[in-house]
Amino acid sequence: MIELNGVSKSYNGIRRAVDNLDLTIPDGEIFGFLGPNGAGKTTTIKMITGIIKPDAGQIRINGTDIAADPIKAKQRFGYVPDSPDLFLRLKGLEYVSFMADIYGVEQELRNSRIETLAKRFDMLDALGDTIQSYSHGMRQKIVIMGVLVHHPEVWILDEPLTGLDPKSSFTLKEMMREHADSGRTVFFSTHVLEVAEKLCDRVAIINKGKILFCGTFPQMQEHFQSHESLESLFLELTKHE
Amino acid sequence: MNNIWLLTKIMLKNSSRMGARKKGSEWKSLMLVALMLIGFLPMIISGVWFVAEMYDGLAQIGQESAILGMGLAMVSCAIFVLGIVYVITVFYYSQDVEHLLPLPLAPREILGAKFLVALFYEYLTELVLIGPLLVVYGVKSDAGVLYYLFAIVLFLVVPVVPLALSSILVMLFMRFTNIGKRKDRLRLIGGIVGIGAVLGFQYFIQRQNSAMEDIEQMQQQLLSGENVLLNLATQIFPSTKLAVLALVESGYWSGLGYLFAFLLATLAGILLFSFAGDRLYFAGVMGISDSAGTRRKVEGHAFAKLAQMRPAWWSYTIKEWRVIWRTPAYMLNCLLPSLLMPFLILIPLVGIQDRKDLLEAFRGWITGTGGISVAIFLAGSIVLAGMNSASVTAITREGQAFFLSKSFPLPFRQFLLAKLFPGTILSILSIFVLLAIAVWFLPITPLLAGLAVFVSIPGVMLMNQFGFLIDLQRPKLSWTSEQEAVKQNINPLFSLLFGGVLAAITILGVVSWGGSLIPVALVLFLVFGILNLMLYQVLVKKGPEWMDKIEK
Repeated sequence: MIELNGVSKSYNGIRRAVDNLDLTIPDGEIFGFLGPNGAGKTTTIKMITGIIKPDAGQIRINGTDIAADPIKAKQRFGYVPDSPDLFLRLKGLEYVSFMADIYGVEQELRNSRIETLAKRFDMLDALGDTIQSYSHGMRQKIVIMGVLVHHPEVWILDEPLTGLDPKSSFTLKEMMREHADSGRTVFFSTHVLEVAEKLCDRVAIINKGKILFCGTFPQMQEHFQSHESLESLFLELTKHE
Repeated sequence: MNNIWLLTKIMLKNSSRMGARKKGSEWKSLMLVALMLIGFLPMIISGVWFVAEMYDGLAQIGQESAILGMGLAMVSCAIFVLGIVYVITVFYYSQDVEHLLPLPLAPREILGAKFLVALFYEYLTELVLIGPLLVVYGVKSDAGVLYYLFAIVLFLVVPVVPLALSSILVMLFMRFTNIGKRKDRLRLIGGIVGIGAVLGFQYFIQRQNSAMEDIEQMQQQLLSGENVLLNLATQIFPSTKLAVLALVESGYWSGLGYLFAFLLATLAGILLFSFAGDRLYFAGVMGISDSAGTRRKVEGHAFAKLAQMRPAWWSYTIKEWRVIWRTPAYMLNCLLPSLLMPFLILIPLVGIQDRKDLLEAFRGWITGTGGISVAIFLAGSIVLAGMNSASVTAITREGQAFFLSKSFPLPFRQFLLAKLFPGTILSILSIFVLLAIAVWFLPITPLLAGLAVFVSIPGVMLMNQFGFLIDLQRPKLSWTSEQEAVKQNINPLFSLLFGGVLAAITILGVVSWGGSLIPVALVLFLVFGILNLMLYQVLVKKGPEWMDKIEK
């Protein structure tokens, strides 16, 4: 579960990137975080993951306040950043193993998890090569593997489907569903509204740092008394902002 | 031409931090620059003094213009050597290359802009190397306005030919090494051979000039045409002679003539560069970021080795090591200084080997019972540690990946340990290299050797902690090439400066105390040990807070 209470962040003391955000993502849910470019999605995700500090408000991951006990809170989640061009000089396997070390995954467990993940993402033949030699999609896959190797309770994924081939994209969506169905939390941001519509249990639409809507897709249709697609509703919602 | 200007402006903006600075941090930067200027002041003053003395000596026999010749020759050589590194970085390994290649630009347009960027950085070097000389000469010779006008023009134009030559050399090298899967390795080997050549060259120069210890002898050499550096430089860059003549005769029409001749020679250099660039650049730069994998499954022993479980901090340390080893720019700036710098310090020692009396005096000094010998060794180790960029770029090197690291559940102490480890180990390594060299040349007793290592270890640990402290305050995380992270970064300069000041204070302190060997070693060990503990406490206490503040 992720809870945000009155979270605000501004840059240079002027522009409010995130404005008094309240959000609760309960266990057992895939939660989609939508919004136009520059709406505050990545800033929110960076605050949840402890990369930047909110100016005000409180963030809890499975009940642990990230400001009060950052190490414990950070152990609870796995985070996929929006750009996978990281640690390019490491080999794929070195990177995943490094992530396993950071989260203290035991030897036996990590071996079997790496094997399973590599099979599911079709990466078995690439693990011995440096990440620099990977395509964009492969880099995305290795970053996702690095996160999933420690079986985090809460998944926080920033644009995780960008660049993935259809099969890997399908696999990741399948894994997200499995994870939520096992009673844990998946929080992800996306621009692909079809994916959000099909995959998410609930969505929030953010623009200019404020939540415009939060709820299920049918609730949204009811709210706007419309039977249009999420895309039309999204465009309508963010048009006048 | 318009495209060249446009590109140059964008590239310069992109590589300077100023655009992205937070409000209110300008005065901080200004203060830092001022501090550095104060730090380098003794160097500048002694440089000015040296030039003034030389001038007076040479003026008595009417040969003062030799100073200009030497200065311009020196600056041409320095720019040529430094240019090779800049060109490799700016022309080839900068990330904007991939964005520029698809644009409808001619090679000479991209090259022209990149050349100007490299030139801009060379001006900074030139300012330090020859700025004081030009001013001192002008003041001393009561030169007119024309002299200064000519000096400014020459200042701007002199680096062009050496830089064009190093560009052509690099373009040839890159063109013919852009082959096969192992091109990165091929280039690294080429680069190391290049460094070897530069070291050899320096050795050669030092050896030739070894008899040159005082100003009078240097003046003699300059007059009799025996100065190897000057001869070599004017042979490689014949146009330099025209520049000198233009300055010397700046009051006459002939000076103007020489200036034009020099400008023409420079223009020829630019044309040659442009001609070579059109033919060589694209063939060398295309596919530069490609690196091929084997796409072979990792199994059995290899898998077990790569996936072996380690404690988090140790795993982080190993990650740091791997990145340093596998990134040519990091290797050159973090790894090689530890191994090569002691040799650079050694070269003058070789030079003075011919001068038995001096070496004997030095031997007597070092083998005496005084504690000064151990202080000198400690100062040497501290200076070496200051030259090593490993700890002072520990955060900068991570670039954008640093933000992912911030989301790791890693206690700050462990992070600190992992970040300090590689630099400290490398610094300790250089202590032993330095010791080995010292033992080779000087009759160092086992006791002195032991004590030297004993006091140097806390010395270099302090330097590494200080380096990390600087990087934690002002890391440069948005860079477009790894070279930019370590080279176009002011932080290593602070570490260098701090090392110099600390070494000077140590030597001065011990000299004024005049204690004997063992007490001096014990006191130095204690003092540096306590300083280490204090700095460590500060880092552990304030570090997490400082790290939290790094948000962009």
